[in-house]
Amino acid sequence: MEIRSLHIRGVRAHADSQFEFTPGVNLLHGPNGAGKTNVLEAVHYVCLAKSFLVSSDRYALRRGAEQMQIEAEFHTDRRGDEKVRFIYVPGNAKRVQVNGAPLDRLVDVVGRFPIVVLAPSDHKLTEEGPDERRKFLDTLLCQASPAYLSALVAYRRVLKQRNELLGRRAGMRREMLASYDDALTRHGSRLVVRRARFVEVFSRHLESAYALMAETTERPTIEYRTFANKEALADEETLKADYLERLARRFPDETQRGITLTGPHRDDLVFRLDSELVRRYASQGQHRTFVMGLKLAQYFYLHEQLGERPLLLLDDVFDTLDPGRMATISDLLAGDAVGQTLVTSARSDVFADVLPFDGNAASSIPVDTRSQNAPEPQT
Amino acid sequence: MQFTSESVEALVEQFAKLPTIGRKTARRLTAYILKMSREEVVGIAEALVAVKDNVTTCTVCYNVTDHVPCPICRAPRRDRSVLCVVEEPNDVLAIERTNEFDGLYHVLGGVISPLDGVGPEDLRVRELVQRVHDGHRDPLEEAEDAPAVAIREVILAMNPNVEGDTTSYYLGQLLEPFGVRVSRIARGLPIGGDLEFADEATLTRALEGRANL
Repeated sequence: MEIRSLHIRGVRAHADSQFEFTPGVNLLHGPNGAGKTNVLEAVHYVCLAKSFLVSSDRYALRRGAEQMQIEAEFHTDRRGDEKVRFIYVPGNAKRVQVNGAPLDRLVDVVGRFPIVVLAPSDHKLTEEGPDERRKFLDTLLCQASPAYLSALVAYRRVLKQRNELLGRRAGMRREMLASYDDALTRHGSRLVVRRARFVEVFSRHLESAYALMAETTERPTIEYRTFANKEALADEETLKADYLERLARRFPDETQRGITLTGPHRDDLVFRLDSELVRRYASQGQHRTFVMGLKLAQYFYLHEQLGERPLLLLDDVFDTLDPGRMATISDLLAGDAVGQTLVTSARSDVFADVLPFDGNAASSIPVDTRSQNAPEPQT
Repeated sequence: MQFTSESVEALVEQFAKLPTIGRKTARRLTAYILKMSREEVVGIAEALVAVKDNVTTCTVCYNVTDHVPCPICRAPRRDRSVLCVVEEPNDVLAIERTNEFDGLYHVLGGVISPLDGVGPEDLRVRELVQRVHDGHRDPLEEAEDAPAVAIREVILAMNPNVEGDTTSYYLGQLLEPFGVRVSRIARGLPIGGDLEFADEATLTRALEGRANL
């Protein structure tokens, strides 16, 4: 897929900015604080209806702005030309329109315009707790499968309701819990079975990503950790039965602690290089390569699943890379393995020797919002 | 800012209390009311007061009605052995518009949702169980020992979301001991819709709930 233009209003540094993109590499460069990352943020909003930087949309809103409005023109192989508008007014629900028609549900936009983001905060994927890895799994699978997305939305809702019920010990009745157990295990089993299948396929993509990037012969592996044994993961029905049994066994613990203790909300992914745990033994460089491998593999996976090349967003990754890795990535972007890319960098010359900025295969786009952010003249 | 008419402002305030009505719309409605004839406005005012004075809840199905029991519960030709359980009175209207259902209704008054503090005791759940247990007695029949019509089937018509799901499951379990058939309305594609334009979640549900030819 391809993003052709972007009109941003009310996103951080951008009061009103307009951008055009080429199908190849688009280098967004400019001074610090000029709003380069906000451009990627805006793209993320029109594609997934949420931010990749902040937990609350309020923080993405420009200071003093009444609303955020982002318009983009896309071209996908599956649907042709489409215009998307994302609107957020604080205090109201976020809205997405495709070709002028509002989507019934916000989540319906997810997966239409697949994207992969690589940002400085991604180091958390290999270094920090399981939350980050589950988020990675979910963002990826939601884009690839609407059925996964609706199961996830339902699962989270049931989990909240069930925890609420567990939390009020006095009014809690076992027979009421049964209906939540049924819903929890139904949606939860779907998530777990799909995650397990995904990891199998994804491992292959991770290996090919590594082959493209690293000069080493280390073999990356990814292992799925969940509550159930491998045999129980055969299909959703088998897993649901197993899951229900486990819930029944932990019932005393759960009522005591007032939360749901078994389920995909506690899953994790284990990353290894050969037999060594990345989290424990990898060097800084190995961490960085692994994260990049995960993102590239995500790219290949989405491409394969959707038959559409995702849009690749690289936020500030070049400024911290050593020359060797830098060259590898530049070659990758210039080659056929990936399609359209939006890259931010403080320097305008990061690709100087690799890509010709002829406005066709690659485009150099200065980002400067200083005129939009000039202080009000004193009167 | 100075108001020229306190009456106008008061009406705007009142309209703005209604759901989906913002201040702008409230002003527009007020301006329209000003232009209407006095008779028309009195008609609106009387209709508003009448719903509060006359409308009550049917003691059989808990739908809103002017007369207890409601016309549906009284209708002689409806099938008294089938109950359709819905969340709100508006859902009864929706099903009635199909002209396809000729059983009776039971309005729950909402769905179970611990997050909103709504449990079975806040809904007409006990009343439903009682109805299924007792069978349907003609509400106009004076004689105490008049025979009751046994309930054969309960159709659960909750909204297709998590709360509708869990409430249905809960009711299904409660009604199991009575040996009545308990069913749920199907979910899937809208009629007249185009497969290509159906959202994926609905399409997935429709695939899961596929029926044999």
